[in-house]
Amino acid sequence: MIKAHELTKYFGRQKVLDQVSFEIGKGEIVGFLGSNGAGKTTLMRILTSFLPASSGDVSINGFDVAKKSLAVRQIVGYLPENPPLYLSMTVKDYLKFAAKLKDVAAKQCSAQVEKVMSECRLKDVEHKVIATLSKGYKQRVGIAQAIINDPSLLILDEPTSGLDPVQNLQVRNLIKNLESERTVILSTHILSEIEQVAKRVMIIKEGKVLVDERLSDLLTKSSAQKRMVLRVKGEKKCVETVLEKINDVCLLNTVSSSQEHHFDLELADEKLIHELLSCLVNEPVQILEMSPAVSRLEHTFVSMVNENND
Amino acid sequence: MTKIFAITQKELSGYFRSPMAYIVLLVTMSIFHVFFFIIIDHNQEATLRDVFAVMEFLFVFIVPLLTMKVFAEEKATGTMEFLMTTPTTNTAIVLGKFFGSLIFMTTIIGVIFVYYAIIEFYGSPDRLATFSGILGLWLEGALFVAIGLMASSWTRNQMVAAICTYLILFMLYFSVTLEKFLSGTLGALVSYSGVWSHTKNFSAGLITLSDVTYFVTGIVLSLLITRYCIENRLWR
Repeated sequence: MIKAHELTKYFGRQKVLDQVSFEIGKGEIVGFLGSNGAGKTTLMRILTSFLPASSGDVSINGFDVAKKSLAVRQIVGYLPENPPLYLSMTVKDYLKFAAKLKDVAAKQCSAQVEKVMSECRLKDVEHKVIATLSKGYKQRVGIAQAIINDPSLLILDEPTSGLDPVQNLQVRNLIKNLESERTVILSTHILSEIEQVAKRVMIIKEGKVLVDERLSDLLTKSSAQKRMVLRVKGEKKCVETVLEKINDVCLLNTVSSSQEHHFDLELADEKLIHELLSCLVNEPVQILEMSPAVSRLEHTFVSMVNENND
Repeated sequence: MTKIFAITQKELSGYFRSPMAYIVLLVTMSIFHVFFFIIIDHNQEATLRDVFAVMEFLFVFIVPLLTMKVFAEEKATGTMEFLMTTPTTNTAIVLGKFFGSLIFMTTIIGVIFVYYAIIEFYGSPDRLATFSGILGLWLEGALFVAIGLMASSWTRNQMVAAICTYLILFMLYFSVTLEKFLSGTLGALVSYSGVWSHTKNFSAGLITLSDVTYFVTGIVLSLLITRYCIENRLWR
């Protein structure tokens, strides 16, 4: 569906994308990961034909994005980082306007607006002025405009940024329900979101694709190493002695207060958790917590980005 | 065409959803009302010629206020990204926005017909001069709107857009004051580029090809520059 070949983008002298190449098939859900300024938004803007690439080419469904941009825009639904909303319009009027611009046939326009509003659960606010809506609703209106013409490719730039956990969950469920036959590209800083929604991950750093793998493969690789948090009450020395005894357990960091000690650990294998626990129960310490430090994807992401820095 | 109409409709309803439109309409009508009776009383003549001059002067000040947000606001709020990632041509976007502003400006000009009805009722005005004057006023307004759109396409800051429009309109409107200091080709050029030398013919009931060409060329040129600016994202 998407074929990008050596895409490079300069802003002035600054290289924002550096020979990015990838292919995305129909129906794939791909997560773009990367820190701020990595080039994710620029890449998405090139895919939507909002920005031209400085060099390289990209085609969507066989249409060259630069040369056949109108044809490309007909099959792409795009939600920018800040939902592009006309605040003084009502939800329904805005979606009707979007439908007209996106070539939805006049006869189907009303039906399509109704369908999208119920899909995005906007019926209860259809006559409300967008400016008066909560951030979660605004985000849903943004998604609704992106899918108003049933695009075969959906590009969502940080669709859950700034939302509270409940809104976050609602928007994430909405995206999950949109999958069906669509190809979805999603960029986010919330890595657990990618773990739940995407099937493939592209980690972008300084304009280059560091990793482009299926999520399951990436997690399998990262599952060999696991970071844990251990929180205990009692003698710190006892815990340190146990950690020294067990091979393949690395103590990354320790934070102590008068009563409690917090250990960041890296275990070479998940099986070592049992060994560690069985040793600790024989010591004069009270185990308050032993839990995974971060999500595995987050761990992989951070280690890959840092690895590259080194 | 559907898209141009959709954008025009959105622009027009946008004007009426903001207090600025009502303020502009109210101020224009009030000033117009006062000047109409002063002029009629002073001239003792059933003509709108001097009233047109007041309206032209008002346009210099109100058009930048109306057009400053047309593109600048879209860029500042990010809706420009929405517009430009829909399958809509840049020409359709520019024309839709131009027609939206033009229709609003035409509404302002429409106020004139109330006063025309008054002088028609109480006197016998020169109808040709009145209608050609209205046409001249409308063409001048359309040119100012096109220039306002062009300036709005240069920046994401509404104030900057308004100031740029004011600068251009002041040059076009007040260039008449420079005419007496200049002679030869430069003098002729300044005289031709100013709007005054063209609208005065319309007000006198004279519709010349040269004057119509001046306005139409100015409008088309401004809209082409606008399209070029948004096509090349020159506001970045």
